[in-house]
Amino acid sequence: MPTADVVVIGAGLAGLSCAAELVARGARVYLAAKGMASTHWTHGGVDVAALPDAPTTRAGLLALAAVDGHPYATLASHVEPAVDAHASRLAAAGIGLTGSLDAPIVRVPTAIGALRPAAFLPDAQAPALEPWRGEGLLIVGFDRYRDAWPGYAARNLALADWPGGPAEIRPVTVELDGLERLHNLNARSLATLFDEDPWRAQALRTIEGAIPPGAWRIGLPAVLGTASHQEVLGEARALLGRGAFEIPSLPPSVPGIRLFEALRAAILGAGGRIQVGFDVVHVERRGRRVAAVHTEAASRTLRLAADRFVLATGGIGGQGIRAGVDGGLHEQVFGLAVTAPPPEQWFSDDPLVPHPIETAGIRTDEALRPLDAAGSAAFENVHVIGSALAGMHYLGERCGDGVALASAYRVAGALAAGSVVA
Amino acid sequence: MGTRAEVDVVVIGGGATGAGVLRDLAMRGLRATLVERGDFASGTSGRYHGLLHSGARYVESDPISARHCIEENAVLRRIAPGAIEPTGGYFVATPEDPDDYLERFPAACAAAGIEAEPIPVDDLFRAEPLLNRKIRAAYRVPDAALEPWELVDANLASAREHGADAHRYQAVVGFERDAGGAITAVRTRDARRGEEETIACRAVISATGAWAGQVAALAGATLQMKPGKGSMLILNRRMTSAVVNRLAPPGDGDILVPVHTVCILGTTDITVEDPDDARVTRGEVEALLADGERLVPGLSGARILRAYAGSRPLYDTQELEGVAHHGESREISRAHHVIDHGTRDGVGGFWSIVGGKLTTYRLMARDVVDQVAGALDVAAPCRTADEPVSEPAGRSSYWLGDRLAAIEADGGGDADLVCECELVTSRRLTAALVERRDSSLDDLRRTTRLGMGPCQGAFCIPRAAAMLDERRADGRLAVTAPDANAALRSFAAERFRGTRPIAWGDQLAELWLSAGMFRGTLAADSLPDTSGTVDADR
Repeated sequence: MPTADVVVIGAGLAGLSCAAELVARGARVYLAAKGMASTHWTHGGVDVAALPDAPTTRAGLLALAAVDGHPYATLASHVEPAVDAHASRLAAAGIGLTGSLDAPIVRVPTAIGALRPAAFLPDAQAPALEPWRGEGLLIVGFDRYRDAWPGYAARNLALADWPGGPAEIRPVTVELDGLERLHNLNARSLATLFDEDPWRAQALRTIEGAIPPGAWRIGLPAVLGTASHQEVLGEARALLGRGAFEIPSLPPSVPGIRLFEALRAAILGAGGRIQVGFDVVHVERRGRRVAAVHTEAASRTLRLAADRFVLATGGIGGQGIRAGVDGGLHEQVFGLAVTAPPPEQWFSDDPLVPHPIETAGIRTDEALRPLDAAGSAAFENVHVIGSALAGMHYLGERCGDGVALASAYRVAGALAAGSVVA
Repeated sequence: MGTRAEVDVVVIGGGATGAGVLRDLAMRGLRATLVERGDFASGTSGRYHGLLHSGARYVESDPISARHCIEENAVLRRIAPGAIEPTGGYFVATPEDPDDYLERFPAACAAAGIEAEPIPVDDLFRAEPLLNRKIRAAYRVPDAALEPWELVDANLASAREHGADAHRYQAVVGFERDAGGAITAVRTRDARRGEEETIACRAVISATGAWAGQVAALAGATLQMKPGKGSMLILNRRMTSAVVNRLAPPGDGDILVPVHTVCILGTTDITVEDPDDARVTRGEVEALLADGERLVPGLSGARILRAYAGSRPLYDTQELEGVAHHGESREISRAHHVIDHGTRDGVGGFWSIVGGKLTTYRLMARDVVDQVAGALDVAAPCRTADEPVSEPAGRSSYWLGDRLAAIEADGGGDADLVCECELVTSRRLTAALVERRDSSLDDLRRTTRLGMGPCQGAFCIPRAAAMLDERRADGRLAVTAPDANAALRSFAAERFRGTRPIAWGDQLAELWLSAGMFRGTLAADSLPDTSGTVDADR
């Protein structure tokens, strides 16, 4: 008796959204992951494509689709429906997603006061996408919270090349009650405080009291609640103005945690199963098919049998691919062939520019089945999605989320339409 | 161009030797000033393995150096305990190590005056359970861990108390000489602002180690150095609680030194042309790990935080003494040598001190200052071994728990922590920033250990840059202090340089994490260029 129709390995944006799409289409899905993944580190929006010369996200997407070996070469047409499906799932969880493939690319302020091109943002960050209409930007930090830097951000933004930006940029640091009692003060613990009603009301009034006269859009640390995020955001905007928005900073990422929880709820709500903390330790092969994977957690080994397996372990960053001392790259679950530049060419000298090694990953056929070194499908019933795919600069091109969603959507759609799901 | 007050002696080089020379001069009543082209202890002194040598490493290959080491080892334990963690050390014979060396070792140690106590291997394994169980013999020796930044800071502080001064970021660009060829002044240039100064003096001591050849050339003297690049790896935890050495002739990957919360595996030895060549190659890393495996099996599977290299201040004995010499730099004597360029090259008032070990810095300082003081008719004897080096306040030298206790005593909580790996608080960082004006974040790292833990700066770099910017904005730092964006970029680049040679496994994944934070969420790659001043990037 198979455990599921599809076993998805990995709990980042790709794995979660693939599992969510599959269960929505009636498949029985088991998602196993070694640990929490990229959602807890990133900004919670969807980066699809941002290239210096592309005026819109779609223009960037099409330019990347023309690059030989880029995942978008086969996935470009799946991006739009994938983002729509993602937005619907988030809307169901009360998060929402705002943005457009065709609007001119908007740059939004980051926590250090740089401008980051953004395609789609969750509601809480979305006002940063709206045109500035003569109002000022007030950047708020909290005394004792070390990952919001309103002064540094405001000074950098004032110097930034930001046509059409705010009329004025000002920093303010407010003192919130009781923070000195928190032993571990980070975005997550602040968000938990904001989930609490009496505390939050007082905190929001304190912030309101710090707003100078005039018209301001308020930039807040991205800590406006997790479980009660909708209420927190509603109350914040009632008090601080509808333009109040979150600015994400260092991990743990509260917008990412909300995203993770929303997708997890979507999977569990439709009958899917999720096990985090389960490392794949063994693969049962039957010729060019995988019959089952074995996972291990605590003292117990689990055999997960399925018709299809989706590898969403996230490449080098997610440790789905690990490098050895000799520079050899090893895919950790199925031992798939990894395409990468030679070790002496891995890095640029400046850490803040794209590195050739970032393009490392698994090459696939059009159905996203992994190719072996000779170029034929290594397994018939394994599909690779997300950052494990070769050929992209997920940061330099800002395409990692788009590739994750499109590849997940593509595979989920194909598997749900195929014979494995009744 | 300005002219400072005349001094008796200008010391060039702010490593351990220069700091020791300055202190020695000052304690003998000489007016002295020290100039360093970068930050203090940013050259070889800040780039060694952190060992206070017992001397046992050199009992066969270099008995003079061995004797110097054991004598100074005792002196430093007395005068600079704040910089030393008394870990103790072992020499262990692995199956690959030669029998004849093992047989000769005890007698050689005895001859050099080094106490080497044989201990049963079972006792060794009880004390150091991770060591290779095939180790067949072990000797206990008085090795220890020695913190270079602490030591240099303390020597400079002591020198200042005795009336000397020391200046960072002052590169020597030339000398003035009288008709007889003797040096009368040193010309320096501020490495950041470009201002030049002339320091009139009666004598110059070059304590520039591997760079001594370059400095001598500026003075019109010749000195052939043979810099030996030594590469080391930092492992993310202490594999052993004591220093462990291979019982073999000096070779790659033959020593593990526990330092603070990590340990250092050393050291390769490659003769290089340019002492600034501090690139660590993948081949060196592989050689170190292969040899390190013989001490601690499985060591190469451990997480490596960083690779770095220093330049040994070795000199060409053939050129110096007319002694025929061939071979690799490891065979060149580690013993130090005072060179009087007046008698040797006709450049009066100019001495170089080369060779030696960090452990023997004080002895080196004594020997060169003896000559210089004699030439200046100063009869005062060396007193550096008699008086403790002053201890800088508020700094625990090696135990993270001490820092934690201090933070707890100061109100507790971690909200104030800028660097969680090394427990560096914003208060500590602000104090260091204000006290050491014009410091880059990398300089502050040497003072505070900022960014030296497992994340190699991923979290603390933006925090520290923001703090630097705040202090500039609120006027507590001069506007000439390094610009925060340039500081962020150069510190990120500096931390990256050390990660690159060991970018595999967990540390490669860590690079993805920091890239995602810097280039993804924060978009640090598109920060505005606000640099009015250049952050020194060394």
